Amino acid sequence: MNPALAIHWPMVAVLVRRAMNEILRVPGAAIPGVLAPTIFFLGLTAVFGELTELGGFGTDDYQSFIIGVSLLQGSGFTGAATGVNLARDIEAGWFDRLLASPAPRPVILAGMVISAALRALIPAAVLLTVGFAIGVSWPGPFGLALAIVGVMGLATAAACWGCALALRFRTQSAAPLMQAGMFVLVLCTTSYAPREHLQGWLHTVATINPVTQVLEMVRQGFLGTVTWHETWPGLLTIAALVAVLAAFALRGMRRMAD
Amino acid sequence: MAAIEVRGLERAFQGGVKAVRGVALEVAEGEIYAFLGPNGAGKTTTVRMLTTLLRPTGGSARVAGHDIVREAPAVRRAIGVALQEAALDPLMTGRELIHLQATLHRLPRAEARARADELLARVGLEYAADRRVGTYSGGMRRRLDLASALVHEPRVLFLDEPTTGLDPVSRKTIWDEVRALNRAGTTVFLTTQYLEEADQLADRVGIIAQGRIVAEGTPRELKAQVGKPHLEIAIADGEVERAREVVGRLGRALPPKDGLVLVELDGGAAQVAPVVRALDEAGIAVESLQLVEPTLDDVFVAKTGRHLEGDGAGEAAGGAGEERAEQPAEA
Repeated sequence: MNPALAIHWPMVAVLVRRAMNEILRVPGAAIPGVLAPTIFFLGLTAVFGELTELGGFGTDDYQSFIIGVSLLQGSGFTGAATGVNLARDIEAGWFDRLLASPAPRPVILAGMVISAALRALIPAAVLLTVGFAIGVSWPGPFGLALAIVGVMGLATAAACWGCALALRFRTQSAAPLMQAGMFVLVLCTTSYAPREHLQGWLHTVATINPVTQVLEMVRQGFLGTVTWHETWPGLLTIAALVAVLAAFALRGMRRMAD
Repeated sequence: MAAIEVRGLERAFQGGVKAVRGVALEVAEGEIYAFLGPNGAGKTTTVRMLTTLLRPTGGSARVAGHDIVREAPAVRRAIGVALQEAALDPLMTGRELIHLQATLHRLPRAEARARADELLARVGLEYAADRRVGTYSGGMRRRLDLASALVHEPRVLFLDEPTTGLDPVSRKTIWDEVRALNRAGTTVFLTTQYLEEADQLADRVGIIAQGRIVAEGTPRELKAQVGKPHLEIAIADGEVERAREVVGRLGRALPPKDGLVLVELDGGAAQVAPVVRALDEAGIAVESLQLVEPTLDDVFVAKTGRHLEGDGAGEAAGGAGEERAEQPAEA
């Protein structure tokens, strides 16, 4: 653990606990984050289930191919919702309480984004349960662990993105921008078909979109073999996204006083 | 060393709107300083700057010995803040909120728990400690907010309109707590739009209007600037002139108004008894009397031409002295 984070861990922990109240104390609060990716997953599996006959999917089970993108959808939505919650806290004045406290700004951000990473495990758990029930291949312990790392990592990046926007606009009206940003990033990948089946602009975008690397890292266990070759670009992408977006969020936090 | 030193503090917003225009003040250690002014006068903007939530665009300030811009983290460690809208998370319990605040101030877990118990008892909320804040009344929220601002025993406490919107009982509870804190040595900087609050609580008052301090001093000093207290005496018909002559020996007799004998008293309430005694000795029956003192609103009107609060807000019709606090006295 980062030494600075270790020193401030009790602060991070109380902020995480407070953020977790959103889903632990509000009945049904977790449902929107679970429902959309689960419906997408089931619907697309039913409609495009025979797509794997085209070949190149690395599996005959379409559900095993798209479980990865559904996991990242749930993760992205849940992460971006942290920005909506922050905008609400700014509007209500709660965020001033945190800013007027001696807690360092990175600690305040860490509290918010770590809670997002933990909350993202809820849609992931539901999706995996539904997925395994309808025949998604078992990814193996290492593949499952990588999928979870991907889910939590993307939720962290999405939370930083949401927080950066919340700190820029300071209103919940920016919520569609937070959600749409993640939606586009996750879908403009090899979400529903392998790269060789994509055409035109989508092929180009999916190639340069860094989330494609995360998706392929998450997906590999469900398709069969986990390799370092497919893993490191995903881990690097998550680290880079979190670093860049956290820097934007921290800059926004400093500019709150301007 | 002053607890708060402010020099030419300014804050302009986008579009060039200046909310605070060169505020300068000093608050001594252990003092209660009230910043009195109407909505939009610049009180909250000043507090947000002093609590490091907003950067000044001009001037400087030190709080608890630390510069609010260059040493902002040190300022945050030294201050307690209860802002205008009691921003409390409705999903947390009162105890959780204080525990969170204690942790943010780096109190060890056991100490944080003990402090939460102590503070909740102190503001009379121990019975609701484990209830969610969403179920609290406005007064309970303000008391909880105050308790959370005290968790680290701050040297300087900022209260931004701590009783706005509260019922009289809750308001008095907050006042009592502020007085108790001050007796324990805490410097208190509070903003208010209530005259009575400033009058009751503050050692010194700064009156702010349109971003500038227009008057500053103890409530007594400020009121003395706009006039002395006077006694309004109702007596039997036919005795008015003789009564004026009698009271004129004890103070400056003013022209009668609506059949009342008016006398200005340098000594205020202390001079009421001698006046009554003198009238009695002269065989003049007093039907009723009232001691009328200048208020901070009179000061505000004198300095700005406007009333501070109530329906009278706006241009003052009759200048200083039109609305005065009346203290009925036994005849």
